[in-house]
Amino acid sequence: MSFKRLDPSDFIISADAITAPIWSTLSNPLMLFTTSSGQESGPSGQYYLSVYQTSSTANIAAVQFDIAFGDSNGSGSLAYDYSANIYNSPSSTIFGQYQDILLGDESSLFSFGAFTSSRFIALSFERTRYKESLLPGSLTLTLKNSSNTVNITDNSAQLTTAQFVGSNRVFQLVSGSAGNINTGISSNGYTNGSGSYGWFLPDIGTILLNPYSLVASTANGGIAWTPTINAPSQSTSPSVNSQFFRLLQTCSLNSQETITADYIFIRARNSEFNYSTNPSFISGSTGELTQTSFINNPQTYITTVGLYNDTNELLAVAKLSRPLPKDFTSEALIRVKLDF
Amino acid sequence: MGYLDNSVVTVDAILTTKGRQLLAQGNFNITQFALADDEIDYTLYNPTHPSGSAYYGQAIENMPLLEAFPQETQVMKYKLITLPRGTAKMPIIGNINAQYNLKQGASIAITPETLNYLGGNTFETSGYTATISDVRLFSTFEGVGINTPQAQALNQTTTLGTSVSKTVVGTTINIRATTINTLFGSNTQLTATLTIEGRDSGAQITIPFVITKI
Repeated sequence: MSFKRLDPSDFIISADAITAPIWSTLSNPLMLFTTSSGQESGPSGQYYLSVYQTSSTANIAAVQFDIAFGDSNGSGSLAYDYSANIYNSPSSTIFGQYQDILLGDESSLFSFGAFTSSRFIALSFERTRYKESLLPGSLTLTLKNSSNTVNITDNSAQLTTAQFVGSNRVFQLVSGSAGNINTGISSNGYTNGSGSYGWFLPDIGTILLNPYSLVASTANGGIAWTPTINAPSQSTSPSVNSQFFRLLQTCSLNSQETITADYIFIRARNSEFNYSTNPSFISGSTGELTQTSFINNPQTYITTVGLYNDTNELLAVAKLSRPLPKDFTSEALIRVKLDF
Repeated sequence: MGYLDNSVVTVDAILTTKGRQLLAQGNFNITQFALADDEIDYTLYNPTHPSGSAYYGQAIENMPLLEAFPQETQVMKYKLITLPRGTAKMPIIGNINAQYNLKQGASIAITPETLNYLGGNTFETSGYTATISDVRLFSTFEGVGINTPQAQALNQTTTLGTSVSKTVVGTTINIRATTINTLFGSNTQLTATLTIEGRDSGAQITIPFVITKI
């Protein structure tokens, strides 16, 4: 017999969380941020600005995340048709989009800490970058305006239970780095008077920044940012997205992915698998053994484990890193990992 | 403080082409395993090593091994089998040619037997599994003579389109070469391999199959 049936107890299913830097560079922090002038001036440019890890024309260039400004009143971008509706513009479209996803209510505004805002800047990370979710506690976003700098992280380390808005896990963005809160301005890491720096939404791979927190003075935790945000009656140039892009200095962030693996325990008892059909084990066409000592003390070497279905079809195969000796005086226990 | 348990060897498995096909069909169900010693050359085993028995297999035990191949016909070629201690002759598959040459559309029935098994030459009661490496080359590839539900289910499986293997079970394997000309392209011959394995003994043989265009 060459096949041995597996018992139900030989199977174990395990889920392991894998984390890694989110960037295409596979390392933290990302320090080079570039955009594509073609994308910026194209149809999608009025909604969002794509950010790359290297020159957008390079072969290895890949979008890391998109910046999108949302405003409930349509400010910051030109109205589609001002005579028909003065509030309908790309920025109000973006606002409504996130309002629908996160708040599930077309009349609610975003509450960053205790501060209610009708504006946000969304950093929407590419799905291939964040895989399954962003890793809470791994964010350090450094923004700089002139000589004013702020490091932003999330407050997941401070919480014992996750907070939810609708069905989304939400962490507040606070002053600090890598999950460690800077309490220099306030004990919870918020700004003075402008609430938190925004929302960290790990499950949809998005960061919503509260622009008012950046506009705040340095004494209040901001960077005294003074963006130009015109009413929808006139265009804003450069766009709010471009103005925010210039604040980016560095960003560290990890992705998180759950890998489900089947572990299968392969057990070869002492009396099993001690002979081989290997042609070098057999001499000639008569079936005699090449080594006479193999008659009473056969020695085999396991190199490969094959996993089969009921009808002997080979479904998966595993190779050992080195041959594993097997004879009548030894047993083998091999754990095979099968990832899905 | 303690030492890590190194009595368990952990290895990562990959899906074979057949495994991916069955996974796509929602029919992926591992129920048994086999072990093989592909790559091992037992002539390197030296039972006269001057340093003693611990060194007999030195040349084999230190060799590096290749990664697994996803093509199911290229791995698990030489299975380890369970036989009583004292076995002097290994069971081998007989009553079979060293190579089969078929013209397009021609048929053949192969009825293997097992030599050196259960005290002589015998037809195994559980039959034989036959695996053809490229099912497209044959309009008929079926096993007959074993009527268990598993064997019948396997023999009724249809594989279309791609060059994947097909496995059937039986005491006799009926084969008919394809009549489709387009498979040949500009070639006059097509080649596949047929692996036959005794389901009781584990003895196996792989032989080439050549189809000639007419």
